[in-house]
Amino acid sequence: MASLYSYLFLSFFMFVIGMAVMIARKNVIAMLLGIELILNAAALNFVAYTRFINQNLDGHIMSLFIIVIAAAEAAVGLAIVIRFFQVRESIHVDDATQLQA
Amino acid sequence: MHLSYLASLGHYLPELIVCLTMVGLLILEATYDKHERGRGMLYSAAVIGLFVAFCISVGSLTDQAQPLFTNSVVIDPFSGFLKIIMILGTLGAVYLAAQSKDIYSEMKAEFVILATGVLMGGMLLASANNMLILYLGIETLSILSYALASFRKADERSSEAGLKYALYGGVSAGIMLFGMSHIFGVVGTIQFSEMGARLSELSGTQIAILAPSFFMFFAGLGYKLACAPFHMWTPDVYEGSPLPVTAFFAIVPKLAAIGALTRVTMVFFQDVNALHHSWIALLQVVAIITMTVGNVGAIGQRSIKRMLAYSSIGHAGMMLMGVVVINELGARAILFYGATYLFMTLVAFLITSFVQDKYGNDHFERFNGFIYRYPLMAIAMSVVMFSLAGIPPLSGFVAKFNILAAVIEKKYYVLAIIGGLNSVISLYYYLKIVRLMVFKDVESDENIEGLGFVNQAVILGLTVPVLLLGVFWSKLISLAGAAKILIQ
Repeated sequence: MASLYSYLFLSFFMFVIGMAVMIARKNVIAMLLGIELILNAAALNFVAYTRFINQNLDGHIMSLFIIVIAAAEAAVGLAIVIRFFQVRESIHVDDATQLQA
Repeated sequence: MHLSYLASLGHYLPELIVCLTMVGLLILEATYDKHERGRGMLYSAAVIGLFVAFCISVGSLTDQAQPLFTNSVVIDPFSGFLKIIMILGTLGAVYLAAQSKDIYSEMKAEFVILATGVLMGGMLLASANNMLILYLGIETLSILSYALASFRKADERSSEAGLKYALYGGVSAGIMLFGMSHIFGVVGTIQFSEMGARLSELSGTQIAILAPSFFMFFAGLGYKLACAPFHMWTPDVYEGSPLPVTAFFAIVPKLAAIGALTRVTMVFFQDVNALHHSWIALLQVVAIITMTVGNVGAIGQRSIKRMLAYSSIGHAGMMLMGVVVINELGARAILFYGATYLFMTLVAFLITSFVQDKYGNDHFERFNGFIYRYPLMAIAMSVVMFSLAGIPPLSGFVAKFNILAAVIEKKYYVLAIIGGLNSVISLYYYLKIVRLMVFKDVESDENIEGLGFVNQAVILGLTVPVLLLGVFWSKLISLAGAAKILIQ
């Protein structure tokens, strides 16, 4: 059976990939996917810790809420991306240049 | 002492009323928004709802902590005081939105709905007593704020502001959650009250894991508060959003976040150990960088909105110094700072909004010779600018003095000196407006329609507390001093 450490390692790996996506990719949709990876890494951690160390329901509840809120955030995020695409005709973050000192 | 869920509801009235107001406004908006009369009704419903919530919050300021909903939310004087300030801030933003041309008239109802929702999130955050509620509060604030920031649908700048806000917000919430998950793994609970006790009996390895986790946890709150490593979104989002939204962002999310941060710090880090020292060091460094970045960044700006954005970063750094001291003196100073900051920010944004509606932009030059055309407004603006810079005998001075006194009492002299120096830097850009208003020639003689009798009276009415709190501050200080964070 997989140990706690394999789960922690996997979630850390997901977190790092998510951060790398946020830093390296310029496509807004890809960046939203990166955010999902980071959130899922945290949710996986919560579930893993609950399963192996803390025998209470706190972690499960947290991860359920994370899933719900991630969906809400993605919905609003995509709506904004669509709006941005309509006015700029691009979903590249480098085209977000109107607001600079 | 735990109350049942039904009994808890009785203590949770302000939040419930705000929530009901939001739902009621949604229904009203769907049925009546098409004509002018319907909008009047909507505004009166919003104002009545918020006013009732305000009255109940004032009436239910108790001196004991009341844990609700199996200890996931706590009502104590500190959160009550913050909620009162936030409700006032929302009322101010709703008034500004009703007057401003920066929000399309068919969208005004939606602004009120979203603002009430953000207020709800802020109230949740201010009284959060476990990790889940803290996260929910932050996300309620954030997700609605993304929509508010991109409110001018056809405007490129506004959608860009929303986009930047959403991306930064998503990442920092994710980082915070990742930190939280490790804290949960080591400590074994998400309840603040239990965590505080367990944090004091940790082994060296556990602390080694927790310290970076707490740094990650700070990301979420730091982002809402707009402090140093997470401040990059602030100027852009503040500039791109419509002006009433900017005024709202400068008050409600910021105060909610500082409240949550103060509570977290007070509950977790009372015991002096390695974790305590690393958290204090983090907050000190962040406070110093935040203040300096905000005040130095504000210097070269052309747009008043962008200048106010940077200055709000500076003020966030100032308030952070009150968190660092971890005692009631600091919490009191933060509350007083919040109350004065509310009035100063509202006046500055109200005047800027009317000027911007007239000229189409909010550059500094639009204030040239302002005093010869609207002397009362120019005086109000000058009072507010002097107060923001912290010049006696105005309330901004008392607020900064309180914070610095709390810091010096704890012997953090370096922090206090840098705070004082930052006030000096901020004088430059605040007084620039005053100089333009007095010593420059008038650009045009046209009237600014927004500055009618009623609006001038409202602005003057909001300026009075800035003056009075600078002289008769003892009353509010004792009120804020009574508003302790109670750790059960």
